[in-house]
Amino acid sequence: MTVLSVEGLCKSYPGFALDHVSFSLEEGSIMGFIGRNGAGKTTTLKSILGLVHPDSGSVKLCGVDYAAHEAECRRQTGILFGEVDYYLSAKLRDIAAVTRRFYPDWDEDYYRQLLRDFSLNDAKRVKELSAGMRVKFSLAMALAHRPKLLLLDEPTSGLDPVSRDELMGIFLSVVRDGGRSILFSTHIISDLEKCADTITYIKGGRVLHSLAVDEFRDAYRLVSGGTEELTEELKGELIGLRTHSFGFEGLLPTEKCADFPGLCAEETDMENIMVHIEREKEA
Amino acid sequence: MKNLFYKELKLAVHPTMWLFLILSALVLIPQYPYFLVFFYSCLSIFFCALQSRENRDYLYTALLPVSKRDVVRARFLTVVFFQLLQLLFTVPFAVLSLRSNPLGSNPAGIECNVAFFGLSAVMMGGFNLSFLPLFYRTAHKLGWPLFSGGSFVTVYICIAEALSQYIPGKLSAFLDSKDPEVMKKQVPVLLCGLLLYALLTLAAMKRSERNFEKVSL
Repeated sequence: MTVLSVEGLCKSYPGFALDHVSFSLEEGSIMGFIGRNGAGKTTTLKSILGLVHPDSGSVKLCGVDYAAHEAECRRQTGILFGEVDYYLSAKLRDIAAVTRRFYPDWDEDYYRQLLRDFSLNDAKRVKELSAGMRVKFSLAMALAHRPKLLLLDEPTSGLDPVSRDELMGIFLSVVRDGGRSILFSTHIISDLEKCADTITYIKGGRVLHSLAVDEFRDAYRLVSGGTEELTEELKGELIGLRTHSFGFEGLLPTEKCADFPGLCAEETDMENIMVHIEREKEA
Repeated sequence: MKNLFYKELKLAVHPTMWLFLILSALVLIPQYPYFLVFFYSCLSIFFCALQSRENRDYLYTALLPVSKRDVVRARFLTVVFFQLLQLLFTVPFAVLSLRSNPLGSNPAGIECNVAFFGLSAVMMGGFNLSFLPLFYRTAHKLGWPLFSGGSFVTVYICIAEALSQYIPGKLSAFLDSKDPEVMKKQVPVLLCGLLLYALLTLAAMKRSERNFEKVSL
């Protein structure tokens, strides 16, 4: 079952535009939403939620139009936009006391358990927490009403590797029961290797790929060779070509590899793929 | 709406909104420009907007399962709650002031009579209309809304004081009187003032809703 369906989302700003962003998220899965800074990740997430009014396009949560049933859809969505950076002088318990009133499905026992798991003391004020602890508090509030969809914008930014690993574990446990799905944007690709099922890659406001993680990895090969092997034809096909005194290195779409036999073509990780694709833009 | 109003009181309301209610007692000062009591009330609304901005209240509220229209309405409910509370709090102090000093006159401004309450209500309604819709155009820029609201209140006080104090004639004698018989005749001024307050605040709310709907958060 499709939990979230985004179709043809467009939003124009001076100097930047979301261009027909489309993807869908299946129940019980984790989607990594990747792209470099300024690619349109946050704008897309805000457009989904209606915080930014898209020029066109539609968003559906479990088949229900998000904009037309905003309050109901929001109740089914757990939202995290980075760390908590509002009401810095307020105590966690006061913010939670207000927040829980808006969610009929708020599970207080689960919330308390999350606070314990995250070692959060709700008598503290937001400003007394580190960046990582603020993310965890934000996540506890996003999870406590057991939403169908978790929409997380850069949840791992500012966290140390151990905390990031913990979060990935939490994400996996959240979707394990099958009823919930996670869409999270990040530019820390290594996080996705641990838990994401699918990847949606946005570049310059356009979706470049929306694929299963394995398919995304298989879509490209890292090609390298000596200077004499770098023909003009190959140059035209290579993505993010980098030359050095001994030869070259670049990314080649897997289906093109057969056109260039004899080259050293290796599988590579998602981070390398993203770096090469983004480098092409600068070349 | 109940939950949003709770959020306003628990998180968003600036302490001065509660604190300035005490300033209702300023009408006990025998010689004082009493309109300032409600000027402070208007000022506390600005402080509340300022605090909301500094606390990024609109980011927090935007993530809650509520419509933007209800966000605006909850803020107006809060504003009206405190403005009416200020009016009500001032009544006993005004009665005390009138009884303790029945013969003295206030050279600094209007007497704290029935007409004063009606004129003050209009001032607060006018402030709501000149300040809040401008604020909701961006939900974070406060300079121009403050200039607009502050200018309105200043000009309004000058005109109201001129009519009741400084332009001799029947109107000023009527508006500035604390004779119990004249104050009975001032009741229509109070009622019209309250009606105008309601209309101005309603117009401010409708305009604010329209403006805030267009804001990208």
